Amino acid sequence: MHVLRHDGQGLDEAKLVEDTSRLADPTKRYSSNKIESDVVCKFPNGDGNDQPKSAVPCQLPLRAVPKPTINRDVKAWDITEKFTQASLALNTGQLVKDEYFTLFESIGALEIMDPKMDSGFLQPGETLEDDYDALKPLLPEEVIGIMDQLLCYEMAWHQGYPLSQTLFTSVYIDKLLWPDPRSLEEAQFYRGDVKLATEAMHDILRAYCLAIIKCCDFVITKITSRDYFEEEDFCTHTYNRQLLTQVPLDFILHELELAMKFIETDQTSPISAELKYALLARLEFRRALLIALFPDYSASFLDKYWPPVSDTLPRIEATHKFGRPVPGSFSTKLQRRLASTVPPRPVVELEFKDAFEKLVQLCVDCEEAVRYTYLEPSPQEYQSFIWAFASRKPQPLAYARSYLSNFIFSSNNEVFEHLLREDLRSLVFPEDQVLDPVNWTIESPRNPMMPKDKRLQMASLIDEFTNRAIQNYHELWTALCQNRCRMRRMLCHSMLAFDQLQSDAGVLDDDLHALSSDIQQYPLITWVYHHKLRQIEWVVQLGFEQEIYLPDELPSMYYWLSKIAETRKRLLMTLLEFFERRQSKMEKGKKAEIEKAERVKEGKGYIESLLAEASGTKELAEALSSFYTHLAYLKLLPTPPRPFSNPSLRYELRMKPFLTLTPSEVFPFAELTAQLHPYGPYDNPNPKPNLSRILSDSVIWQYMDHAVKSAKEDFAKLKKLGAKAARAEGVKGSWEKGVQGCLLSCVAAGVAIATVKEICKGLGKEGVGGVEGMKKRLRVEIVEAGGDRVGKRYHEWWVVPKVVKL
Amino acid sequence: MDNQEATSYLTQFVGKTLRIYSTDGRIFVGQMKCTDRDRNVILALTHEYRHPSEAAIKKAIQESGNPATQVPLTSRYVGLVVVPGQYITRIEYEEGQFNRDGVVP
Repeated sequence: MHVLRHDGQGLDEAKLVEDTSRLADPTKRYSSNKIESDVVCKFPNGDGNDQPKSAVPCQLPLRAVPKPTINRDVKAWDITEKFTQASLALNTGQLVKDEYFTLFESIGALEIMDPKMDSGFLQPGETLEDDYDALKPLLPEEVIGIMDQLLCYEMAWHQGYPLSQTLFTSVYIDKLLWPDPRSLEEAQFYRGDVKLATEAMHDILRAYCLAIIKCCDFVITKITSRDYFEEEDFCTHTYNRQLLTQVPLDFILHELELAMKFIETDQTSPISAELKYALLARLEFRRALLIALFPDYSASFLDKYWPPVSDTLPRIEATHKFGRPVPGSFSTKLQRRLASTVPPRPVVELEFKDAFEKLVQLCVDCEEAVRYTYLEPSPQEYQSFIWAFASRKPQPLAYARSYLSNFIFSSNNEVFEHLLREDLRSLVFPEDQVLDPVNWTIESPRNPMMPKDKRLQMASLIDEFTNRAIQNYHELWTALCQNRCRMRRMLCHSMLAFDQLQSDAGVLDDDLHALSSDIQQYPLITWVYHHKLRQIEWVVQLGFEQEIYLPDELPSMYYWLSKIAETRKRLLMTLLEFFERRQSKMEKGKKAEIEKAERVKEGKGYIESLLAEASGTKELAEALSSFYTHLAYLKLLPTPPRPFSNPSLRYELRMKPFLTLTPSEVFPFAELTAQLHPYGPYDNPNPKPNLSRILSDSVIWQYMDHAVKSAKEDFAKLKKLGAKAARAEGVKGSWEKGVQGCLLSCVAAGVAIATVKEICKGLGKEGVGGVEGMKKRLRVEIVEAGGDRVGKRYHEWWVVPKVVKL
Repeated sequence: MDNQEATSYLTQFVGKTLRIYSTDGRIFVGQMKCTDRDRNVILALTHEYRHPSEAAIKKAIQESGNPATQVPLTSRYVGLVVVPGQYITRIEYEEGQFNRDGVVP
């Protein structure tokens, strides 16, 4: 038939039809010569006796016209063969593509049939979906088992695993959420009509699951409302599932209450009392948790949210043993149904014990975070609290950190401006006219030609500074609220922002000096500089805490720390002088002035506390730097082979975050080398004077002893000044523990130095084996940091080596 | 077919809906974005269709009591995929509902 269609040019339709019918019927063909001759004359080359049937196809260009398969108005054409031929005709490397489709995009394409990428790829015998029946009757023990398993997965999620590998592996949760329910009533373990009424156990489990889902929704809302890092802190991805976002809290609470009421009043079912108790405990816990997680909290009842949650926990732990696990109700295959492009990944298994521990920690951390709202409203108190919170061990979970950040940053900008002014007041403007509230009440003169009141000018200068600095100040606070590693990285940025601010503040300082002579010299620069130096110290100290520096880098890093702390110490000393001058001046004044003098004195306590801390840091860092240097000479400091770098490049790398600072804090490599290599290279010390003789002399060790001693004195002074002076009254316990840790670090450093000194005394004597022989007599252990747990160091910031005599 | 002809033939399918059958019996329906000499095809906005499992068919027959009952293909959105040429068993061009977009299949 299609042959004819192509050669149909000279023939009319009617003949064609006739022709074909004759071709098909040989008897007809031979019965009529006339028609046969018709056909022959159409094809002159053909022999009249030939069968036209074979003549026709060989003469015509053949082309298969594809026929579409039609299915409900959609036509589809099989193009396999032609497509294949066409692609074979392409050149190697030639692409036929959409002009807007980029290589970059193509990288994101998932490769079908690749088991690592293709989520639909099935191993032989594997089925795509799970066939667990969610309406299968459940025993109360099984419900408890499922609830506890869900809790484990929920806590795994809180630790940072995605929902797909945790809660979303539950068949029950999947049934509730997919297909997307339009109302709460529709969120059932079945969809559409169900012939049999659901069982009570299903209703109880359903209420619990709904509450879990809502809890997740609240957690995501809270975490995303603050600064966090996706997949670093937490996974908020819900794979296109709506976590009952539209359902009000009350509805879910109502479901829980109905379930509880059912258990309490139920007389008919043969559930034992202890199982009822276990089920009730879990429902009550969910209810309390849901209320605690609700983002719209009431500020006046803040302290009433978390204790009820904590109260239910012991009951859950005690009744965990009644549960019977139902492993079939969880399946990784459910991941295929999520809007995710990756093949199923293994479920994250968290033991109930560990999950429960995390849950307890979450409650405790959140309860602690609430205390922030009751602190004395001073920026230093707040910051001490934030530091203490961030230093808690184990590190608070992402939710708890967001919970705290929410209190810190929920207030508007004005509150932060106020905090910034308070910060200025306590550091550089003690009872100062510059920050007198009256300044802000003075109106500018109507006549622009008239000179403005000095006080008004001061107020506008301070406003100008606040406007400029508020962003950086805010970022500093944000950095302190991040996870520990991120905090260090963000402080590196914040430090540079303060560096820029410092150069901008100079102009305003000049203007302030023009207005008043009775102020601290360059107050704004001083304030910014102090903050900047403190941040540099933090960056280095957090580096020790996070074990960023290798043992052989400790001499240089402690040297760097001691230099920064020394600069800060000098800065604080000028401030202290200023405070003292002001205090004594005011004490001589009138009654009101004397009252002010009292407050200056109180403020001086803070400066003294900072000074003691800076000074202690400087001394201890100096001692450790020197000690590690000598340990390097004694070949007791482990040094890894580094074939591809040299010390100067490594130094540059370590100093990279600080290189652009002005004034330049980083000293040249040559200076550092000279400082850290007093007797020539570690491997090849100067022959004269002899190294053994130097080290056996007690003078060099005395220098370290002395530094440790001064550090100890400084930290003791800091301790004596107390948490109140340090403005850490709200976190007195952990502050004291921190100072105590510094003191103990000093003691440990003293002991370590003494031990090495003792052994070194014998150096140079016969039979000792000189410096080389020290390895046989001493072992130095670099005490590792605790990480997420309480570590072995007295203070995470002080790497004091442990020296063991062999 | 020479290169020019092949290129213009293939180019007409860019942005058009193709159905690609894979060796494991799945069908991928999506917009063609790109192809090459090895017949690898990149499809965008792809849905994956799969024949229901035997168990599902049995269940459907059992429930309806009709051995000729219809069981729908299960579908899943998979987005941007590349189907390697070696796994392709059949390619179909799906005509738009209202016009043929000038494509010569």
